[in-house]
Amino acid sequence: MDELIYTLKQQIIEALNLEDMKPEDIDENASLFGEGLGLDSIDALELIVMMEKNYGIKLQDPAKGKEIFKSVAVMADFIAKNRTK
Amino acid sequence: MIVCVAHNIISPLGSTSAENYAAVKAGMSALRKYDGLWGLPEPFVASLIDRNKFTDQRYTIDEQVVIASISKALDQTNIDVTSSKVLFIISTTKGNVFLLDKREAGFPQERVRLGMMARQVTKHFGNPNEPIVVSNACISGVCAQIEAMRYLESGEYDYVIVCGVDVQSAFIVSGFQSFKALSPDECKPFDANRQGLNLGDAAATIIYTKKDKVNDNEWVACRGAIRNDANHISGPSRTGEGSLRALRIVLGDIEPEKIAFINAHGTATLYNDEMESIAIERAGLAGVPVNSLKGYYGHTMGAAGVLETIISMQAVDDHNILGTRGFETLGVTHQIDVSNQNRATEKRAFIKLLSGFGGCNAALLMAKGGLQ
Amino acid sequence: MIKHQVYISPNEVKVDGKALAHNEKGSALLTELYRNNIGDYPKFFKMDTLSKLGFIASELLLNIEGNRSFEPREDRAVILFNKNASLQADTHYQSTIQDPEHFFPSPAAFVYTLPNIVTGEIAIRNKYFGETSFIVIDDYDEQIIMKNLDIAFQDPVTTSIIGGWVDCSDEEHFEARIFLIEK
Repeated sequence: MDELIYTLKQQIIEALNLEDMKPEDIDENASLFGEGLGLDSIDALELIVMMEKNYGIKLQDPAKGKEIFKSVAVMADFIAKNRTK
Repeated sequence: MIVCVAHNIISPLGSTSAENYAAVKAGMSALRKYDGLWGLPEPFVASLIDRNKFTDQRYTIDEQVVIASISKALDQTNIDVTSSKVLFIISTTKGNVFLLDKREAGFPQERVRLGMMARQVTKHFGNPNEPIVVSNACISGVCAQIEAMRYLESGEYDYVIVCGVDVQSAFIVSGFQSFKALSPDECKPFDANRQGLNLGDAAATIIYTKKDKVNDNEWVACRGAIRNDANHISGPSRTGEGSLRALRIVLGDIEPEKIAFINAHGTATLYNDEMESIAIERAGLAGVPVNSLKGYYGHTMGAAGVLETIISMQAVDDHNILGTRGFETLGVTHQIDVSNQNRATEKRAFIKLLSGFGGCNAALLMAKGGLQ
Repeated sequence: MIKHQVYISPNEVKVDGKALAHNEKGSALLTELYRNNIGDYPKFFKMDTLSKLGFIASELLLNIEGNRSFEPREDRAVILFNKNASLQADTHYQSTIQDPEHFFPSPAAFVYTLPNIVTGEIAIRNKYFGETSFIVIDDYDEQIIMKNLDIAFQDPVTTSIIGGWVDCSDEEHFEARIFLIEK
């Protein structure tokens, strides 16, 4: 799971162009939206694409995304349970 | 005064303004579901022109519909289009973008350039001026009309031909799908169950000139304004800042009672329709009927501002406030007056309202016979 | 009246005609200018090249104007022109949908496939509620640009315009020539 979390942080940084960040800078339990990384609606949509591209998980309902993208840890948990890649 | 001398619409609902208006008045629409079109994995609902009807190999589909629409508008006038006192303004968001697909052959890549596309049009008509292309997201069609008003006011030209166009493609549809902005069914503007927008093809032309005096039947473009939300590049302002400011400018000190209706952007996305209801109420216009034409045409992007202005002029000419196709129950927090039924009116002015990506908003006040 | 102007190309930066020292070229130049003159706006890295170019050019222009209060205002318009519209962003987005076997349309890329987005970025940064617009012409033409900016003052509120040419065909080929014009 640690490896998945680290990889996930790298992928988030790349997908969202968080240029000046390193995986070490992201707290896996901090909220991704609102405070924390302060991501916005476009970032949420981009994470949905990333989930499909890298893990084969299709999220049809963007509202579901809000729960899954609560934090990196929550995301990693969801991916571990649902990945097809 | 800036006066409309001719207009035309080319769309799946017809190739003249009159044909289009009659279809809309009768509640018709060319919206249908496409599954697998252009190799797209997800189905979508759109109003598409029959591309088989446009077979001139010299021009792309966008260029053909623009040339057709402008030709039909010009046929209603005696304008010498080869004169340097005639300016072409094209309004489009994506023009010939389909040419970026590596599988597309038939035209050089340079035709992707909007200026090149526009030059095909001016060359076709023998006009010597550099065409102006307004590419200001979905408000382009109103922006282009505001540009026309300004150029005519300055005296630099005698006529300005404004043509708005956009033709759908995998590029555009897939983009909106990635935004999860498209409705799986026909769109429902301002409705409680709205799920997003539909897309559409169209070309629409208005030719403007400047006159000192107008008769009662001539349409005057009175005031136009463009304002930004300064909030987010793709989401509208939650308080409708830009829309509100644009509305205030075009309203000026006119009593709201003089306005027959506001033809809103009404794309049927959750956020756009809500934002417009807020802006309309904050502008003191909650009592003015509001409608949207997206349920008949889908969102025609660069053409929308011109097409929807023409249909609205035709509606006022017909003493009619067109119903909002797809609307059933109000689903925005501010009480605005929307109906799916056509309603009678004797009023002679309307406001065209639009919003677009990049936080831009535009409003245009049109009055039959000018403002009295 | 032109109050200030900024010129940026892959090799050169000039503010009010005076060259600005720099070490980098091309896209690296834009990043260098960002770090040296702005530095606290991470959204910069999400932008396409056209938006980065216009954003930086406007920052240099507004820095030289001085008195940056970021107070909301409606009387300043942002009206930009170019030849290639959003070509760099379009090409990038197309690459996310070109291959049917690897079809992943990117919303972050798609949002920049409109040339006027750069005017929105400038408006957001500075709290400009005024007019924002984008016009495409097939060649740089100062007469057309200046005439268009001049008639933009017909708007009853506009007293000041950030206007000019901001063009980009790919990440390494771009040019900006923008002006701060007061009524």
